[in-house]
Amino acid sequence: MSRPKVAFFDFTSCEGCQLTVVDTLQTHPELLDAVEIVQFREAMTEKGEDYQIAFVEGSCARKSDEERLARIRQQAQIVVALGACAHLGGINAIRNRLPLEAVVNCVYNENGDWSETHPYGRPRLSDRLINVEPTAKPIEAIITVDAILPGCPIDREEFARVTRQLLQGSQPRVPDYPLCVECKFKENVCLFQRGQVCLGPVIRAGCGAICPTYGESCEGCRGPISNPNMDSMQSVLAEAGLTADDLLSRFSMFGTYQMMKLE
Amino acid sequence: MSLRVISMDAMGRFVASSRSEYRVVGPKPLHGQYIFGDVESPDDLHLNYTQTVIPPKKYLFPQREELLRFKSGDGEIEPVFDAPPTILLGLHTCDLHAIRLLDRVFSSGHVDQHYRRRRDNTLVISIECLRPCSRHSFCKSMGTLSATDAFDLHLTDLGAEYTVDVGSEAGEALLAKHAKTRRATDDDYQRLNTALAQKWPHFPYRLDFDVSELPSLMRTSYNSPLWKDLGERCLACGSCTNVCPTCYCFNVQDEVDFALSAGRRVRIWDSCQLDEFATIAGGHNFRKTRAERQRHRFLRKGQYQTDAFGLLGCVGCGRCAQACLAHITPVDTFNTLHHERSGGAARPKGGAA
Repeated sequence: MSRPKVAFFDFTSCEGCQLTVVDTLQTHPELLDAVEIVQFREAMTEKGEDYQIAFVEGSCARKSDEERLARIRQQAQIVVALGACAHLGGINAIRNRLPLEAVVNCVYNENGDWSETHPYGRPRLSDRLINVEPTAKPIEAIITVDAILPGCPIDREEFARVTRQLLQGSQPRVPDYPLCVECKFKENVCLFQRGQVCLGPVIRAGCGAICPTYGESCEGCRGPISNPNMDSMQSVLAEAGLTADDLLSRFSMFGTYQMMKLE
Repeated sequence: MSLRVISMDAMGRFVASSRSEYRVVGPKPLHGQYIFGDVESPDDLHLNYTQTVIPPKKYLFPQREELLRFKSGDGEIEPVFDAPPTILLGLHTCDLHAIRLLDRVFSSGHVDQHYRRRRDNTLVISIECLRPCSRHSFCKSMGTLSATDAFDLHLTDLGAEYTVDVGSEAGEALLAKHAKTRRATDDDYQRLNTALAQKWPHFPYRLDFDVSELPSLMRTSYNSPLWKDLGERCLACGSCTNVCPTCYCFNVQDEVDFALSAGRRVRIWDSCQLDEFATIAGGHNFRKTRAERQRHRFLRKGQYQTDAFGLLGCVGCGRCAQACLAHITPVDTFNTLHHERSGGAARPKGGAA
């Protein structure tokens, strides 16, 4: 059987999801016998442009990204959004609520133009912002996506499973039910019982409830389930002394793009 | 069969000795709550526990279980059985009643070999509940506050000693081999009777009607307006069914290796409360709304299981009420339906202290 050719691409992201892929290649080396990786900047120098499956990490945040994504879409038979930035827009989209100038000031502060990476700093490249899109987007806003691997970062076992399903020729499936399912399987103490607040009841499972398992509340990196009961979630939060705004501000970490679309 | 007496110390030695032959699991504290886990030493024994998050069914019907392995080339299929000899120690009587139901479900019609293999390799040691374990439990109303015939041994705490009710020959053999016990005297019977008599007033009746009426109540409640209300509150998170001792729905998935040459078939717990549970080929979902799914859940508990297996599907443990962030409880649900039918007003009790 010929091995499908696979390429990895990075857009605006921390590349942590690709690192998880590198990790997965170490725990599942047989994956390398099943596919031929032709492009993966994080792990190799070669850059093959002949591929069937494209894994795309990162959100679309620069004007030039759209064209690059379109080229990937044109070449690949299957495009997979790898991680929260590509899937949701993610953390990059937090800046969508602010004018770019304000974002620059927020990151570098007003006296930060001594920094070489400051868009207006030394060397003064006042046109550096020209390529920045005012809105960071999930790749789905630009091209059709065939499968998602949610999370910040992605889950290693889920990456392996989705890849096997792609090799099998079946539509990859990731959970579309609340995180509470996996949290209960682990017999964790419900964080609401501890007086903490958690987005678990409306967020997609698949991570093994890793944050609540270590006592941290779910921040929604895998995005909302398709049919969340937001009214009931608000009542649950109200009981914990929180309002709809508190809920939305928690969502904004990974879900600003989705929230702004609903407004 | 017979009544024996074992001291607290002898109980610890019994556990230590049994471990040479059995995996012993019992209630253990974890982060301020209890779970069933491996009892590795007598110090791990916490038989005066309150309630575990997930019932002991996880040892008979694990959350994830490999059923078989296959090879795609020659079509070879091998069933997988993983059923180590196990002692389930310290089950409350609600959980015992639940196992009785699971036994019937998995042994009727097409016998589930995986469940059966585990069950046949499991000895059940239950314990009499002398105080309510949770503000949500309503075992007395459900008729599950006494042991049923699913136990091999049944303990009652008399302070420095337990009485041991021997329920099966396997239980008797286990005691004979691993425990130092003595035959119960008239005085022991007297003390046992006193303990049992004293326990009942501590448990409240929480249903406003007799439980024998429940199947007929559910039969006439299909069109109740209550389901819409529950549907609006339900988060569809599946917590109620995942902590339920009588829920047993599962999904079956095939997992292949990267070379696509071999794989395994696994089953994992599923929940009728999840959106996709009743979605079939072609994408049609025949229980699309949360209201329909909650109705299905309660009709199963109160009526369908009785129709199919002759036992109620709810044992009154209250775990689902404890787990539900939206405060959907069987006590409130059943009482509301009762009062809808009889014209009175329901008094909310499900979340009452």
